[in-house]
Amino acid sequence: MTDLLALFVQQSVNGVYLGCLYVMVALGLTLIYGVLNQINFAHADFVTVGAFAALFTATRFATKVLGLPDTGAYLLSMVAALGTGALLGLAVNAAVFAPLRERGDELRPLIATIGVSVIIENGQLWLFGPIPYQFDSPFSRETIRVGRIFFSMQSALVVAVSAAAIAALYAFMKFTFLGKALRAVAQDRETAGLMGINPNLLIAITIVIASALAGVAGALLGPVLVLTPFAGASVIVKAFAIVIIGGFGNMQGTIIAGLLVGIIEAFTVQYLGSGLIDLVVFVLLLVMLVVRPTGLIAERKEENV
Amino acid sequence: MKLALKTAVLAFAFAALGAQAQERVIRIGVLMPISGPGSYFGVMGKEGIDLALEQLKGSVSGYRLQVQYEDSACSPLQATNTVKRVLEQLKPHIVIGEECSDASLAIAPILEQAKVVQLNAGSVTMKLTESGYKYVFRIFPNGEQQGLPLGRNAYTKLGARTAVLLYEKTNAGVDSADGFEKHFVAAGGKILARIDFGRDVNDFTAIATRIAALGKVDVLPTFGLEGQQVRLSQALAQARVVKGGGGNAVQMGSIWLPYGFDQKAGAAAEGYIRIVQFDPTEKRSIVQDFIKAFRAKYGADRVPTHINAHAYDTILLVAEAVRRGATDSESIRDRFSKFRDVEVTTGRISFGPNGQTTDLSVIHFIETQKDLTWKGLDW
Repeated sequence: MTDLLALFVQQSVNGVYLGCLYVMVALGLTLIYGVLNQINFAHADFVTVGAFAALFTATRFATKVLGLPDTGAYLLSMVAALGTGALLGLAVNAAVFAPLRERGDELRPLIATIGVSVIIENGQLWLFGPIPYQFDSPFSRETIRVGRIFFSMQSALVVAVSAAAIAALYAFMKFTFLGKALRAVAQDRETAGLMGINPNLLIAITIVIASALAGVAGALLGPVLVLTPFAGASVIVKAFAIVIIGGFGNMQGTIIAGLLVGIIEAFTVQYLGSGLIDLVVFVLLLVMLVVRPTGLIAERKEENV
Repeated sequence: MKLALKTAVLAFAFAALGAQAQERVIRIGVLMPISGPGSYFGVMGKEGIDLALEQLKGSVSGYRLQVQYEDSACSPLQATNTVKRVLEQLKPHIVIGEECSDASLAIAPILEQAKVVQLNAGSVTMKLTESGYKYVFRIFPNGEQQGLPLGRNAYTKLGARTAVLLYEKTNAGVDSADGFEKHFVAAGGKILARIDFGRDVNDFTAIATRIAALGKVDVLPTFGLEGQQVRLSQALAQARVVKGGGGNAVQMGSIWLPYGFDQKAGAAAEGYIRIVQFDPTEKRSIVQDFIKAFRAKYGADRVPTHINAHAYDTILLVAEAVRRGATDSESIRDRFSKFRDVEVTTGRISFGPNGQTTDLSVIHFIETQKDLTWKGLDW
């Protein structure tokens, strides 16, 4: 393999890994928008909660109480993060989103997500303090080498979990009754209600799934981030950009946009400089808004989510 | 009855005024990052200051040292808002801080206008003491002072001829990189690339890949906060660039990282050579007494970091100024400007005409060993 080709493949691998991380964060955002037509500004904090849940499960519970080895502890921590995210979503929906939705106002739930974000951030600050936590995944220490190409076990895990999450979500939407009902709610909430579907239950399920995805994203991001109660904020802006580039509420668009942004980021580092990453990504966002405001995959309600 | 009441009120008012006149206080505002990725600076800084105050029993020469801590979060905006509030509420005679260069630069003109001394212990940017401020004093070696030994020693002691500069996109990062480049190139070295990164960068694999593709790199001067440096070192090891990953390049750094970084980075940190501002193996009694007191207060297993030490030193310096007759901001400034060879835990302090310490005894080199301990280098 020539040097140039090896470099190209290596940066592509790096980009796919980064892209998968972004997709994991962006999927929940796009799912909620697709069904509820609502932006969840607290999504970053759901990711951070997932990261902390994973950290404490791995370092305090799984290793010290259950006596699991590091790898088992980390895998268990992902399950804990998923559960914590789901429970958080359930609680926030029941306490905040559902009552506000019943009033039929679209703006209030949106503002409420900002409030939820502030409460979660400050709650975590109170609980965990401001000093960054060190969250090491045992998979980060293992490097896989294929010829001249390398990647950590952690990146392989990120790609595998992202692919599994996407596949599971796709299968759920496409082949299960609940998934079909969810798509019906996304298409027309009132008509779906007339057909015997309970839109509120379906919306609650959507928020729980999105929050669970955020939790898992937190477990995967924890070993990458400088983990503080505000850690999620460092990826959420890019996740929003990905959701917009992909086509708000469109899952396929989000996946393609996430991978695209990850790969662009890796090549920007290689050829332009890492200091220009944000500039390049947001120029791309602006170009998309001008040239194709509907996003990579144009919004067709029935195909969303 | 009315007369009695008036007399009582007057007596109370006079008593209060008298007490106020008798109370002699030096008010010290402390601006530190207590939240965010630089919060380790603030937490460690507070430990050092608390210890110094405890040892002084809170007062010097009849003056009570009143300290008010504020979180400025390494952020210019937050530091600006905080310092304005502190000036209004506390009316300090001196402000210690900030640790981060951008935040320190942001508060300097405000304190200059208020004629309040700023004593800085942890910022590297040249601009802080090169902008003509009369109330700024710094005990931390600036970018040039750190760049000189780093650049020269990389060339002469390590035999390095090529370098890639890695630095966060802040005044501190840029000035540190500039300082190294100037002296490394002057010695005959070549800079292969300058790679900057924002504080929001989480994954450094792409950067490590780029460096690996640059060919033979001898040294990697790295300037960033601890959390990012841990990830960066691990990515460089994974790409087999640095010694810790089986490569040849040596990572070098100026005073950014506390002790404990090596354990966090793991094997990737092997061979990392960096400057520290505080050497706990120094035999000077002030150093050993400080370590003893620090361990007694915070735990026998703790080794004070340079952040603990330089924060502790700031209070020693304020106390020394008060001992020499300082009573307010103006006289603190006057006493500081006359400081020559004042001994503190990090070394000796002599302020130059621009308020920058000129004594480089505060610079010590250490190298991370295979077992992640460190040893001092006699450079």
